[in-house]
Amino acid sequence: MKLRTFPQGVFLPHHKEDTAHLPIVRVPEPSRVVLPLIQHAGAPLKPLVNKGDTVKRGQKIADADAFVAAPVHAPLSGKVAGIEEWAHPTMGKFQAIVIENDGKGEEERYEPLPETIEDLEPERLRVFVREGGFVGLGGAAFPTHVKLSPPQGKSIDSFILNGAECEPYLTCDHRVMLERTEEMLLGLRIMVRACGAKRAYIGIEDNKKDCIDHVANLLRNFPIPAEVVPLRTKYPQGSEKHLILAILGREVPPGGLPLDVGVVVNNVQTAAALGRMARTGLPLVERVITLSGDCLNKRGNFEVPLGMLLEDLVDFCEGFTAPPRKIIMGGPMTGITQVSLAVPVIKGTSGFLFFRNAPKKREYPCIRCGRCVAHCPMRLLPYLLGRLAEESLFAEAEDNRVLDCVECGSCAYVCPAGIALVHLLKLAKFEVMRRKRGGK
Amino acid sequence: MEELRLVTSAPPHLKSPVTVPWIMQQVVFALLPAAVWGVVFFGPRLALPPLVLSVLACVGFEALDCLAFRRSLTVGDWSAVVTGMLLGLSLPPGCPFWIPLVGGGVAILLGKQMFGGIGQNIFNPALVGRAVLLISWPKIMATWYVRPAFVLQPAQAATYATPVDVVTSATPLGIVKAYGYPAVWETGPNLLFRLFLGLIPGCIGEISALLLLLGFLYLLLRKVVQWDIPLFYALGLSLVALLARQNPLFHLFAGGAIMGACFMATDYTTSPMTSRGRMIFGFGAGALTGIIRWLGGYPEGVTFGILTMNALVPLLDRMLPRRFGVKKA
Repeated sequence: MKLRTFPQGVFLPHHKEDTAHLPIVRVPEPSRVVLPLIQHAGAPLKPLVNKGDTVKRGQKIADADAFVAAPVHAPLSGKVAGIEEWAHPTMGKFQAIVIENDGKGEEERYEPLPETIEDLEPERLRVFVREGGFVGLGGAAFPTHVKLSPPQGKSIDSFILNGAECEPYLTCDHRVMLERTEEMLLGLRIMVRACGAKRAYIGIEDNKKDCIDHVANLLRNFPIPAEVVPLRTKYPQGSEKHLILAILGREVPPGGLPLDVGVVVNNVQTAAALGRMARTGLPLVERVITLSGDCLNKRGNFEVPLGMLLEDLVDFCEGFTAPPRKIIMGGPMTGITQVSLAVPVIKGTSGFLFFRNAPKKREYPCIRCGRCVAHCPMRLLPYLLGRLAEESLFAEAEDNRVLDCVECGSCAYVCPAGIALVHLLKLAKFEVMRRKRGGK
Repeated sequence: MEELRLVTSAPPHLKSPVTVPWIMQQVVFALLPAAVWGVVFFGPRLALPPLVLSVLACVGFEALDCLAFRRSLTVGDWSAVVTGMLLGLSLPPGCPFWIPLVGGGVAILLGKQMFGGIGQNIFNPALVGRAVLLISWPKIMATWYVRPAFVLQPAQAATYATPVDVVTSATPLGIVKAYGYPAVWETGPNLLFRLFLGLIPGCIGEISALLLLLGFLYLLLRKVVQWDIPLFYALGLSLVALLARQNPLFHLFAGGAIMGACFMATDYTTSPMTSRGRMIFGFGAGALTGIIRWLGGYPEGVTFGILTMNALVPLLDRMLPRRFGVKKA
């Protein structure tokens, strides 16, 4: 099997064996869910319900007029207990709609799509995607309909379905590719039709050989040109820019988007959820996540309602074998540490990892070994950018392309001196952007 | 549920197991075969004192510097041990005891600590120490003791009134400088073979190209160094040798070329950060080594060749790699 990949990057211990073989388990509805008014990259939403209202599963409860936004739907039927500030897994605290489960299981569904996707108007599909509240479920949570709407003058020739799942420990996409394949391929057809791509590719890393074979089998007699592309297991293979480079040999220009090189990329789980909505009419109200690490009693891949609280998930997993010192939402390379179990699952939650220990790597001065340069998938000089950030030389950092950084963390992973390189680069990016917007 | 004491930290939460001391220890391991061969070939009496004193001097002076300037002790990073090994291995066997002490002091204090310690220095500390010794005590640094059995046939040795412990000899590069390039080929058969294995007079740890290359191979396999600097060093040196109408293999295996290419020029701190920079750096250092040997006053050019290129590293580091998403840089 010929494997494709991109230059540089790192080979990581992927730790997927703990949960990769465990089928998706549906978690029972919790008594309460909490839905933050921001769960996507873009403008915050306004609630469409008030305290005391009853809501049905699938009912739209928050939306915004902004184009770059995705509505939120109630994941279970119940009563709005309040709209209040709540712990948010990536933003500290944020306004959220709290719904108490009434156990009635009442539902409100959209009209399903006919199976003849290729005959439908792309605009109708984009509206369908937007109304369904879809965002990239890989973690970046960018609204899907925006990606599927190429601006005037740009044309899309290729669609890539991202099944790389390059973050260690996470296996939810792996299971979705195996168990939700039909829905995923239906979702793929919808997205391909919506953006006008001529050809589809499904990129899967070769540590998921079962997925490569299974998906390739189901692609026989597929209505549109599509192929599975086996990828070499290397981090950050799932980064859009590097997936495009690996599969099509195209480089997204600095500051550009995949559509600048005629490509749209979306996550496999986004496609599966979209395919499910096309069949059932139920919008994005649940997702599959991985719960793993070294101190959870019951690890695995779980289908959970959005808004379910971490503490309820931990209870469902029968608690801890030892108290965790570090809890991460997402993968260990880019995930965010959590300070409480009160945070809800949001659309961008690919999983939670629980670790007994939080070791700290000893820090030394930079010895100029060049590992960060040799591994940076964007061909940056992280050692230099890190130093410029430390000395607040942000204009120089911009000249040295700090905005190209995709924040994958490869530099900080390989650094033998334990320097928090990617953190410094993010800081520099933030400052450069702030100054660009006219901040002082 | 009991109260959790959770730690927050910036991603990535995974870190590679490679650390600074581990890297330095690998370099020490890689130098051990050549060091052991030096002790075997020259005998412990000639080879051990310079080696041991050099390591002790480097570690000791770094510790003293840290104490004197009230900085936290840095000798635990093992980099002073590497400097001491490199310096000791590039000293002539049988040199006076104070040579490694002075060399180590200069290497660590002037070459490294004055710039701010590990990672901050412009010039390779071991080569700074060696250069100062070469310039200050040229005669000591060009006196090559070997065991008598190496140069004297038993019949010859019997002609001496009293048995001798050691005798001096000339290095191949010394012969080239003193008597011309053809003369070195008249010193005996299989010259290249003897150079490659290390059956020649020379610095303690620089004589066996084979063992140094084995050590370098170890570093390559452990992903501690990359191949680009040594390869381009060899290319630069070979090109100059060809221009001088001399055998490139002779120049690669004689003197400190392999040691310089594989262990001195590859020093992280004093070599460029990008692959392109390292290729230019290696080629330049190799070519300068050859030019000094061919046209210069010293028989050997490794030290000054590499030191000169060290000075160009900040410039080479200004070359950025091709930008992602842009056709030409």
